[in-house]
Amino acid sequence: MPLLDIRNLTIELDTPHGRVKALDKVSLTINPAEIHGLVGESGSGRSLLARAILGIPGHNWTIKADRMLWDGHNLLEMSSKQRRNLMGSDIAMIFQDPSSSLDPVIRVGTQLVEAMPENKKLPFWRRNADKKKTARKWLHKVGIKDTQKIMSSYAWELSEGECQKVMIAMAIANQPRLLIADEPTNSMEMDTQAQIFRLLTKLNQLQDLSILLISHELETLSIWCDRLSVMYCGQIMESGPTAEILAHPYHPYTKALLNNIPHHTGQIAHKSIMRTLPGSAPTLQHLPIGCRLGPRCPRAEKKCVIRPNLSHKKNRYFACHFPYQEETCNDDTSASS
Amino acid sequence: MARYLLRRMNLFVATSLVLLAVLFIATHHFPVEIRFALTGIHAPTVEQIAQIDRDYRLESNQLGQFIGYLQQRVTGNLGVSATSQQPVIDELAAVLPASFELAIVAAVLALLFGIPLGILASMSKNKITQHTIMTITLTGYSIPVFWLGLTLSLWFGVQLGWLPISGQLNLLYEIDPITGFVLIDTLLSDSPYADSAFIDALQHIILPAVTLAVLPFTVVVRSTRSAIISIMDKTYIKAAEARGLHTSHIVLRHALPNALIPVLKSLGLMLGTFASYAMIVEVIFSWPGVGAWLVSGIYQRDYTVIQGGVLAVALIIIFLSIMIEVLHTAINPLSRKELYAAN
Repeated sequence: MPLLDIRNLTIELDTPHGRVKALDKVSLTINPAEIHGLVGESGSGRSLLARAILGIPGHNWTIKADRMLWDGHNLLEMSSKQRRNLMGSDIAMIFQDPSSSLDPVIRVGTQLVEAMPENKKLPFWRRNADKKKTARKWLHKVGIKDTQKIMSSYAWELSEGECQKVMIAMAIANQPRLLIADEPTNSMEMDTQAQIFRLLTKLNQLQDLSILLISHELETLSIWCDRLSVMYCGQIMESGPTAEILAHPYHPYTKALLNNIPHHTGQIAHKSIMRTLPGSAPTLQHLPIGCRLGPRCPRAEKKCVIRPNLSHKKNRYFACHFPYQEETCNDDTSASS
Repeated sequence: MARYLLRRMNLFVATSLVLLAVLFIATHHFPVEIRFALTGIHAPTVEQIAQIDRDYRLESNQLGQFIGYLQQRVTGNLGVSATSQQPVIDELAAVLPASFELAIVAAVLALLFGIPLGILASMSKNKITQHTIMTITLTGYSIPVFWLGLTLSLWFGVQLGWLPISGQLNLLYEIDPITGFVLIDTLLSDSPYADSAFIDALQHIILPAVTLAVLPFTVVVRSTRSAIISIMDKTYIKAAEARGLHTSHIVLRHALPNALIPVLKSLGLMLGTFASYAMIVEVIFSWPGVGAWLVSGIYQRDYTVIQGGVLAVALIIIFLSIMIEVLHTAINPLSRKELYAAN
C-alpha cells in the first residue's frame, strides 16, 4: 500500500483577479521508503502541493481532491487536530526559505529544543536537558560544528545555509515517516549539499524514511531519487522511475528539461542558442486552457486544448496526447493516433 | 549599546532644552509683571527684587536671561505658588505620586484585559465574536472621556451608590504618606484601620482607573489583534505548525512576543493623549494628582504652578517615550539587528 496516495488534487486560489486553479488535478503516489523527486520551475505549484500534503493551507485556498490517503487514512476527512498530530511526528517538512521559517525574536536553540521529541522514560525535570542533548546531536549530524554558538544566536544572525541546516535538524529529529523537503539545499555549498543528501539517503535506507524531494534541478534529483514527477504550471506532466524517465522521456516537457542539462563535453558550438522551449512559463492570471504546456510545446496540436488525462503505461504515468514513443520516434503514427 | 543609550540621552536633553525655551518665551508673554511670573512672589521687597534680578539675570540680554532661567529651573527652583506661597516643587512632589498611581493602575488594567481580548479577537473564527469585540473597542475609542467619567460616576457613584466618586481616600482615614502611593501606604501603615483603609483606597481608584483605562485598552486590543493576524500568516508560524506544535503554544510562544513589539510602539505613540486624558479624569474625580493641581492653577492664574506643571508633565512624557523606545530596542532582538548595521 502506498504511504501517500493523492488523486486529482485541485487547489484554487482566491486572488484579486478571480479564482485561479494553481494546481490542476495533480496525482502523486509515494511508496514507503522511497525517495520521490518532484521537479518543476518556481511558480509551478510545488510548494503549494507540499503544504497541501502537510495540511497548512493558506487562508485563500480551496482544496479539492478525489482522494488523499495517508497510510490508508483519508487526510481530507481528518479534523485539524488529527492533522496537527500527524505533522511533526509522521510528516515533517523542510521549508524553502529557511531564515524566515525561524521565529526572529526567539533564539534558535529554544526553537530547536521545542521541536525535539520528548523522552517519556525520563522524569520530567530531566527531559529538557535530554532534549538539549538530542538537539546538539542532530545539529552535529547536519554538519554544524559549533552547536553552542548556533543555538544561542537569533535566526537573523545566521547565514541562510545555517538556518537551513537547523530546519533540517528540526524536521528529521522526530524521525517522521515522510519528509517533504522543499529545496532543502538551495543555499548551501556543493559539498554540504552532498553531505545533506547522503544523510537523507542514509535515513531513507536505515529508517525507511520516505522523502518527497522538491527541486528545480533535474540533475540533482536524478542522482538521489527512485521515482520522479515532473510538474509544469500546476499540472503533473510525467511520473515514473527515474532511470526510465531519463532514458526515455514520454512528455515533451521532460524531454526539454533533459535537453537543458549541460553536458560539459565542450561540443556545443560557441554562442549557440540554448536548447529550451520557446517562450516562458505563464503567470497564474494567464493560464492556457487544456494542457498548460500547449503554447510552448513543439508537438502541440489542436487536440491539446483539451486537457490530456494521466495515462498509464507499465509503471509510468504521463499526461500528453502526443507522447514520444519508446521506439525511435515516429511522428506520423503518433500524430495520427 | 552604550552608544545607543548615549544618543537617546542626547535626544532627551535636546528635547528638554526646546521645551524650556518654549516655556521661557511663554513666561514673558504672561500678562503680569515678569518677576511675579518667574517667582510667584506677590509683593517683593527691595532685597527680594535685587535677588530675583540677580538669579534670573534680568539686567542682561535675552540669551543671558534664558541661561539664568535655565539655571534656576534645572536646580529645582520653580518659584513659589502664587496662591499658597508654598514652593512649587514641594507641591509637585506631593501631587505626582497620586497621578502615577492612577496611571499605573489604568495601564495595568488596559494591558491585563486588552492583550488577551486582542488575542481572542484575532483567533476567533466566529464573525459575530469578531465584530462584537471590534464594535466595542471602536465605541470605547470614540467615547469622550469627560462624558464617560461623568456617566460612570452618575451610575455607579450616585444612582447605585456602589463606589465613591471623588478623592483618593475617605477623609476618615489618616494615613501617613510614605511612598505617596495611597494603595501602598495603606498597606504599610500600622494604623488599626489599615486594612479597611486599603479597601477604601481600592474602591476610590476603581472608577477613575476604569475611565482612564478605556482608551489605552481599546488601542491595545486593536493593535494586538492586527499584529497577531498579520503574524499568523508568516512563514515561521506555518513552520511551527508544521512541527506539530499546539496552537496555544504557537500563539503564546511565537506569535505573542512578535505581536507585542508593535503594541509597545503604539502605546508609546499614545502617551501624550493618555496624559491629557489623565488630567481630565483627575479633574472629574477630584483626584489629587498633577492634572487637577495644574487645572486649578490655571483657573487661579497661578503662573508659577502652570509653568511647573507643564514642565513636569512634558518632561515625564518625553522621558517615558524615550524609555519606551529603549525598552522596545532592549526586548526586540530584531531592532538590535538594525542597530548592528547602524553602528
